[in-house]
Amino acid sequence: MNPILADIYSTVIPSAPYLIAAYALVWAALLVYVIIVVRGLKKTEAQMAVLEEAVRAKGGD
Amino acid sequence: MAKKTTRVPEAGGWPDAVAVPALIAGAVLTTVGFLMAFLWAAPVNGAALSAPELVGDVMVTHQQLISQKIFYFHMPVAIVSFVALAFGAYYGIRFLMTREQRFDTCSRVAMEIALLFVVLTMITGDLWTRFEWGVWWTWEPRLTTYLILMLIAIAYFVLRNAVDDPERRATYAGVVSVIALVDVPVCFMITRLIPSSIHPVVAREGGMSPDMAATVFVVLAGMMLVGYGLYRLRFREARLGERLQALKDMLE
Amino acid sequence: MPRVAPSTFSQYRTLLAKDLRQEFRTREMLTSMGIYALLVIIVYGAALALTAHGVDIVHMGGGLLWVLIVFTSLLGLARSFAREKEQGCMEGVLLVPLDRSVVFLAKATSNILFMLAVEVIAVPLFYFFFMTSEPAAPTLPFIVAPLLVGTVGMAGIGTMLSTITSNTRSADVMLAVLFIPLIYPLLYACVTATTAAIAGTEFWTDFFVMPLVLACGYDVVMLLVCWVLYDFVVSA
Repeated sequence: MNPILADIYSTVIPSAPYLIAAYALVWAALLVYVIIVVRGLKKTEAQMAVLEEAVRAKGGD
Repeated sequence: MAKKTTRVPEAGGWPDAVAVPALIAGAVLTTVGFLMAFLWAAPVNGAALSAPELVGDVMVTHQQLISQKIFYFHMPVAIVSFVALAFGAYYGIRFLMTREQRFDTCSRVAMEIALLFVVLTMITGDLWTRFEWGVWWTWEPRLTTYLILMLIAIAYFVLRNAVDDPERRATYAGVVSVIALVDVPVCFMITRLIPSSIHPVVAREGGMSPDMAATVFVVLAGMMLVGYGLYRLRFREARLGERLQALKDMLE
Repeated sequence: MPRVAPSTFSQYRTLLAKDLRQEFRTREMLTSMGIYALLVIIVYGAALALTAHGVDIVHMGGGLLWVLIVFTSLLGLARSFAREKEQGCMEGVLLVPLDRSVVFLAKATSNILFMLAVEVIAVPLFYFFFMTSEPAAPTLPFIVAPLLVGTVGMAGIGTMLSTITSNTRSADVMLAVLFIPLIYPLLYACVTATTAAIAGTEFWTDFFVMPLVLACGYDVVMLLVCWVLYDFVVSA
């Protein structure tokens, strides 16, 4: 390759890992937060269902 | 008994119905922005070459930097975190004025979103400085200000944990969020305006070409939607937890 | 005979006098802060032990001095509120129908005075221990300005934060965790100005005037915010 062309793109390969890492970490962090929130929601909804059962049982007797 | 005329934010209703589509829309927009950043926006010039070279049909005179592409995600995420802080302080003020516990919940969730996006800012900023300047950290104005913001957000949550009485906790949290909102721009201005040797002011983004600006706007819109969707989701979870607790207390 | 409510200024004066009188009687806080400052200087002695003539004390001195001041203030601020709380003083003061911001002003003023008193001792001490190896620059007396501005700002925010944290678990750590990030800009500006004054190089005013102005701006903004919000905090 023409040495000047090589010079033009010389910073691409060394910086690629940082670039990929940055974007990947951003996606990962957002995804982790969404998962945490959704899991918390599911757990709370389950507890809600248990509570409703208890209320119904209490109202029954 | 005083008539409650203040309208209080609640989970459910149109904002929650919009939340998941907003998240998806945000994800789509940020992906579009990501592609735009790499395929459309012109790369930024680095060091000068020894001789100009014809690439495609453009005369290129500098090294083309690709690491600057991190900036397209770094700035929007930083803006969203500051907006989230502003909302946290806004709800804090509303709590202080009305004493409605609901506003405290809104404030707390907004601060969580702010903390999340500050962490993203630090990650992207750190990886950018690592490549640009060769060190893992520089005390430059923006990174320093966001480090301070992160510390204040963490201190906010530590404070919340350290107070037991809900009314008092909400009051203190509201006050700290307002002080934080005032402190962050002051910090940014001071670190930027004081001439210094160890705080390099990254002058590169003085002047953005239109295609760069367009990409940033697209990613910004996407991140705002993502932030909003996450806020509503988390708020729904927080409200559900509160209602659950109230029911439990009633049953005992 | 109609009783006239005492004016705000006389309320302020009374509260301030109470704090000062209590301090003069026991001299508890001044001595503990003074000893603490001396101890920090001794730790510096160990920390800089191997540097001897290698360290550029003229440029590092400003920063080291401010580290000393920050940590001594943390001690003083925590103590000043702990004492009020122990003796139930705050509740007594709050029973009086007065504007809560006056309490803030009085407390902040007493904290400023205590911190300044400690600085009067600590700064010459620091100079004596570390800076006599170099001839003093003619601009040295100018460090009074950033010291003053910085102390006012730190006392203001510190009073607000110590009111908040005195009611939390692990109050001292909580105060530090909140205090340090919030005063970072002020600290940065004051250190720059102090170092400029100590170094006294050719263009020292570049590094002195602007930071000082910014620090004053910080003080004004933050004190205003704390003044307005103090009512909520102290009534909680």
